[in-house]
Amino acid sequence: MAVSALATTALGHAYGDIAALHSLDIDVPSGRTGLVGANGAGKSTLIKILLGILTPTTGTARVLGMDSQRDTIAIRSVVGYMPEGPCLPLDQTAADFLVYAAGTAGLPRQAARQRASDMLTLVGLNEERFRYIGDFSTGMKQRAKLAQAIVHAPDLVFLDEPTAGLDPSGREDMLDLITRLGSFGIDVVVSSHVLRDIERTCDYVVMLDRGTLLHEGRIGASADQDLVRIELIDGAQAVTNALVMAGAEVSADGNRLSVRYEKGDVFDLVRSTAATTGASLLSLTANGSSLEDLFLDHGSRS
Amino acid sequence: MTAKAGAVYDLGYEPFDGERRGRSGARIAVWTDGLRRMLGIRRKARRKILPWILVGLAVIPPIVAVGVAFLIPASIAEEIDLASQNAEFFQLAGTMTMLFTALSAPELLIPDRRDGVLSMLSSRPLTADDYLTARFASLLTIVASFLLLPQVVLFVGQAGSDSDGLFRGIVNAADSLPKIAIVAALYALAFVPLGFLVAAFSERKAIASSIYLAVMIGLAAIADAIVRNATFAGAKWVALTSPLDIADAANAEIFGKSNAGSLMAVADISPYVGVVSLLVIAVVATAVSAVRYRRVM
Repeated sequence: MAVSALATTALGHAYGDIAALHSLDIDVPSGRTGLVGANGAGKSTLIKILLGILTPTTGTARVLGMDSQRDTIAIRSVVGYMPEGPCLPLDQTAADFLVYAAGTAGLPRQAARQRASDMLTLVGLNEERFRYIGDFSTGMKQRAKLAQAIVHAPDLVFLDEPTAGLDPSGREDMLDLITRLGSFGIDVVVSSHVLRDIERTCDYVVMLDRGTLLHEGRIGASADQDLVRIELIDGAQAVTNALVMAGAEVSADGNRLSVRYEKGDVFDLVRSTAATTGASLLSLTANGSSLEDLFLDHGSRS
Repeated sequence: MTAKAGAVYDLGYEPFDGERRGRSGARIAVWTDGLRRMLGIRRKARRKILPWILVGLAVIPPIVAVGVAFLIPASIAEEIDLASQNAEFFQLAGTMTMLFTALSAPELLIPDRRDGVLSMLSSRPLTADDYLTARFASLLTIVASFLLLPQVVLFVGQAGSDSDGLFRGIVNAADSLPKIAIVAALYALAFVPLGFLVAAFSERKAIASSIYLAVMIGLAAIADAIVRNATFAGAKWVALTSPLDIADAANAEIFGKSNAGSLMAVADISPYVGVVSLLVIAVVATAVSAVRYRRVM
């Protein structure tokens, strides 16, 4: 049986009286996983527990099959972390810092130098390797942060808000790099509140809301097959009535309707209802392809 | 046909299957980085100036002393007994070491907290105690080198100027080696833990350096004023709060120099009792620094 990349059981953490995580149960497979949620949802707290930086108040967490509290040092030897905040010494060159970062992960000096050079090339900082990090732009600093997270060839890497502060072009580059990491055989956990970034880079998602699990599953499979959104030119009221009569849940916003139908194919129902009422359809959109819809839908239900 | 000017290859990503040294490797990396950081190695030029000036100030006087002993006529040179100068050069190097510690302890600890490097380090196979121990060892290494370098120059000079030849000179001079090691350790104990304590709680390097110097000089001044002037019972024990005076007194005692007039002599406290006090101060300062780092890392 394949070992999960991450698994938690009844995991909880509180900062004094403020609970950050409530009895979290997740089981994340290998691959690229998005950890999504609004600010304060508990994403960073979860990552810090998994790295053994924080001690959980309740429950257990396992990383690559190892206990986050008991096997902290072993986990940290094979895991990388790109923190959300600054983590770079401003008075060192990128090359020297990466050699140091590799050394702190236990790599011998010669290997550390080779890896540092390779990673700077990989993240596109090869030309800048002898510049002091203090002179770097925000985008270059983000790349250097990513490079330090993977310089020791980890099996799993945590990226906490990797696109924070980047301009659109820098953001695209960073997302491309993250997508490439998966193809290198590194499991990736990307924490972000930007759902489109997760949608683009990940194949699995864990949604958190105020410290509780909202949803967990494959991103393709997370599409809600029973929900569609339609926009009508006219006849919204008649269509709504007909759909409700047929057993569908309908929420209306003027001529825009969200239709959920679990007893059969929702597309067939909408098509036949439009035909029988004579209403004119302007658009019919499958729901659930967007994580944003899923997040909002789960949020409204909870 | 024109030759290709060059080609760009995407080397992609190579996995690493080599040796991983884990926790011990991580500690060595932090220790090495500490040495480089203190001496300004692979940093901007202005970061190298102060540390290397201090190294020069500590080493040049014994070099001059040894040079003079070699250059002047033998009859006069006999008057200059290099063997009797260990204690003096320890005192001189001690002052330089205090200044160096004031400069280096903040440099070792504060940028890592200020720039967030600790958040990177806390994801590595390294505990807060490992980090602090490695940084402590960095400072101890440099401080010990600082204290021992003038003594090495003296030792070489002493052995080289021995009338029985170099080999016999080395054997003769070797008697002083254990004393040199003990006094260097005591000075390091007097300077390093307090420097660490101040740096562990300060947010700015310049302020930390100032506080450290104020603490070291202030403790000596306050102890001096109280021991020499106060009339209350037990006033003499205040001398045990001044690491500087304790190290100087122990230095004089170990090398058999006169200690008359020094604070410890006025207080009539054995330098060995002072050494116990030094140990207590060092243990407390180190423990408080460790507690602080277990919270921030």
